Amino acid sequence: MTDINNLSSEQISSLADGGLGASERAQVVQSLLSSADGLQTWHRYHVVGDVLRSAELAPLGDDHAFWERLSKTLALEPLYPNAPLQDDAAVADTVIGVTPTAPSRVSANDSAWRWRLLAGVSTAALLIAVGLGLTPVVAPEGGAQMATTTALPSDLQVVDSSQGAMLRDPHLDQLMAAHQQLGGHSALQVPAGFLRNATYEGAR
Amino acid sequence: MSTTARAFRVVTVLLAVLLSCTSGVAQSGAPPLTLKDWLTRVHQATNHKTYTGTFVVSSGSVMASAKIWHVCDGTQQMERVVPLTGTSRVTYRHNDQVITFFPASKRAIVERRESLGLFSDFLKTVNPSIGEFYQFSVQGTERIAGFEADVVHLVPVDRLRYGWKIWSEQRTGLVLQLQTLDLDGQVLEQSAFSELQLNAPIKMAQLSQMMAQTNGYHVEHPEKVPTSAEAQGWALHKEVPGFRALGCYQHPVREPVGTSDPNNRAMQWVFSDGLSSVSVFVEPYDARRHVREGVSALGGATHSLARRINAWWATAVGEVPVSTLNAFVQGLERSR
Repeated sequence: MTDINNLSSEQISSLADGGLGASERAQVVQSLLSSADGLQTWHRYHVVGDVLRSAELAPLGDDHAFWERLSKTLALEPLYPNAPLQDDAAVADTVIGVTPTAPSRVSANDSAWRWRLLAGVSTAALLIAVGLGLTPVVAPEGGAQMATTTALPSDLQVVDSSQGAMLRDPHLDQLMAAHQQLGGHSALQVPAGFLRNATYEGAR
Repeated sequence: MSTTARAFRVVTVLLAVLLSCTSGVAQSGAPPLTLKDWLTRVHQATNHKTYTGTFVVSSGSVMASAKIWHVCDGTQQMERVVPLTGTSRVTYRHNDQVITFFPASKRAIVERRESLGLFSDFLKTVNPSIGEFYQFSVQGTERIAGFEADVVHLVPVDRLRYGWKIWSEQRTGLVLQLQTLDLDGQVLEQSAFSELQLNAPIKMAQLSQMMAQTNGYHVEHPEKVPTSAEAQGWALHKEVPGFRALGCYQHPVREPVGTSDPNNRAMQWVFSDGLSSVSVFVEPYDARRHVREGVSALGGATHSLARRINAWWATAVGEVPVSTLNAFVQGLERSR
């Protein structure tokens, strides 16, 4: 039994269990409020009680330390997205090396704020360029499956997608068209595979 | 046949017999016993049927649809596909000859697709050991586009390929609906007839006449030259289980106007496990165009993976998991 500023752990335990009379309770509460150690003991007894009643209520670790770490991590996060485009390739590289069986969900970049920002800016630039008649509109019909894209000065192009504007690489579109034309070797090719390719132009 | 394959076949037979007894589908359209038998039946369905319908493809959040006319007299197949979405175009197919008309630009692209021949060609494209890589089962029947269909599950035995769920018309075997499933069984892509009329009154001569009407169109024949990976100086030092090389071609690289180099050619090495295919492209590295190494999602089940290999740029494209594309790209090696 340890005295904490005239408080015994037994008194704190009794208080937690509701076993003290009215006058003694007021006195113990008063002492408890002025004692940091007493408050910690009070908290500990409640945790012990909770765990004894239900294992689910047991804390998994020091929550104060957790929040401290989280706050520090949050403080290190940029306030707004400013990562360059090449981030996508970097992210993809990690997919290549690390998870041999992980299904790719790269298209989930639609939900990434910086992609929306980038796509929005690109689309605005595109609209202005087309509006002024400066940008030749290219309809790459070299293959039945190629997405309709609009040329931009860079290697990437803006493609109007039902998920919002996306950036597409015309080189990849060519390869995909070639794959669908020559590579559609599937036992389900007739009719489903061929119909699929003739119907579907690719993500637009 | 390996012990595993034999065991699998026994299990498949038992399962099919059990299903035919319990679900009452033991009739003229009873499910066949093996995956290869079933695929053969699916293929035969297109050789003897005439139909018209609306075909819908749903891939991610993108949907596309087309009107389909299909006619076959047992020796010749003709098809007309008029997409209702996307770029205005009409595709005709006569056996393995395909022509796509683009009315807006008055261009017509003529191609030959070896994989689209009649029955004799079909047998060549299917890996004889396909049954070792997919668990085949028929799980009941469902009604699709007004027809009773067997529900066929093809579950991959490894994580190198996606799974398939196929609704096949009970009497003819015609594929009415098709789903590609990811490694967790979630639908990546779906194709289906939303409406179908079997034995529709379509005349082959009529389609043939339409296919030949190229007046006013600039007809293009995209260049592709058959070659071999060996001749191109490439080899795959480690095979990807289940995938066989089906062909290798060379075609010119299309570059931005004014920068085209006629000697710049890409190799396309095509692999298939019978249901899914992968194209491995290798071309000379060009710092202007080849800027993004890594994975891209091309919609639905199709992904690509690009990687620089010294003076070369390799891109694998296919409707397979990314790890499979990686296995192809990592397996590439210069043989000379």
